[in-house]
Amino acid sequence: MTSDAVTTFYGAVNDGAFWHWPTLVHFFLVALAGGVALLVAYRALGRDRLGWRLPALSVGLVALDMVVLWAESLARWRLTHVYLFLSIRPASAIWWGAWGLAGSAVLGLLLAFGWGPRRLWGALLAVTSTMALLYPGLALAANSARPLWTPLLLAFMPVTGLLLAWGLALLFRQSDLRPAVGVLGLAGALLGGLYLVGLATGGLAAREGLAHLWHEGGTLFVAALAAMLLGPALLRRYPAVAGVLVVSGAVLARTLLVEIGAFMPPLS
Amino acid sequence: MARYAMAIDLSSCVGCAACAVACKLENEVPPGASRLWIRLEESGTFPDLAMQYRPEQCMQCADPPCVGVCPTGASHVNDDGIVLVDAETCIACGACIAACPYGARYFDERGFVGKCTFCEHRLAEGRVPACVETCPTLCRSFGDLDDANSDVSRAIRAAHRVEVLKPEQGTHPKLVYLDAPARFGLTREGVLR
Repeated sequence: MTSDAVTTFYGAVNDGAFWHWPTLVHFFLVALAGGVALLVAYRALGRDRLGWRLPALSVGLVALDMVVLWAESLARWRLTHVYLFLSIRPASAIWWGAWGLAGSAVLGLLLAFGWGPRRLWGALLAVTSTMALLYPGLALAANSARPLWTPLLLAFMPVTGLLLAWGLALLFRQSDLRPAVGVLGLAGALLGGLYLVGLATGGLAAREGLAHLWHEGGTLFVAALAAMLLGPALLRRYPAVAGVLVVSGAVLARTLLVEIGAFMPPLS
Repeated sequence: MARYAMAIDLSSCVGCAACAVACKLENEVPPGASRLWIRLEESGTFPDLAMQYRPEQCMQCADPPCVGVCPTGASHVNDDGIVLVDAETCIACGACIAACPYGARYFDERGFVGKCTFCEHRLAEGRVPACVETCPTLCRSFGDLDDANSDVSRAIRAAHRVEVLKPEQGTHPKLVYLDAPARFGLTREGVLR
């Protein structure tokens, strides 16, 4: 009789999914909120008329994101989220994200109502919205026990987050964003490719992670990268199609990385 | 102040799971979650077969990755070196669950994250953790690592092999395994003395 190692358990092992679909929605909304807020900051720092609609939209997206997070939280009726703002936890990505989103909401409101110095608010909003865009990658890359959440996500997540938001803006005729969307699409595809190469050439855990990613959604991940790569090529002639492609690619890649990326290799 | 640690002698663990049951009852762990579970590993080719029971739980790391990622400070290390979650300030975001290399944390349906506390409430009464008290083969030793006469210090000194799980994570577990009959992921690296 022969056998490979066989593992069985007495008692439930806490190795199931811990972030479910509301978290995936949050990762979509936080990118949208951060990206639109950064767009507001960009417009506020310029000389053109800003208007109230875009800042109000950015505030609305932050609010929607907060509602989703609140609704899915087990602690929603205990109001413990106030401790996010009563503590100083600079080692925590979520703490930075909370302050980034809260700051973006306040500054967005000030800009929507036209109160105070527009350029100063724009500069501060550029900082807070960047914090909101950076935090998901920080939150994932901090988990060294999970080989699919590599440090490369520190770049991949903000790039795809901004691509998602500004690609969507293309559908609303923000045509001056075309060059930026082109660069972001190429950067996203390149970073995604580097991510796969990094896993393939990494240690045992990284290769096990890659095998898991490939088994669970490798084809979809490659398709997502292809969409991000193809979108910029169509920007000039078919900007709406390009927008749909890059947004789809960014959303799909981020979703796969969050959902499948929670993988932890079994003990050997 | 103490530096509490636990040692589990795998040469005498029979996998009866009394520790897991005691933990579940003592700490009112909800269905579907565990603070403590038993891993049974089998491998080899007849007649060279190996089998080993290994109880697993929070490793009470000296450098716990779950604490830094907590956005409210709910995950913390107390003065006795025990990694705890303050249920009052926990927002159940799951960051600590993602960070734990040992899968030792879970969402408690009451709205916070749960984990092994080394039965802190029992320690306050001068008692040992429920799993230690219950073990019928006395394979668990508990106590202060800084006290040379504590049960855990003596057990570690007497052991032929002292090993931990996932030392590459740099967590320096304060739960160690003694005299394991087979490897199954255990290693001598990273053992805290």
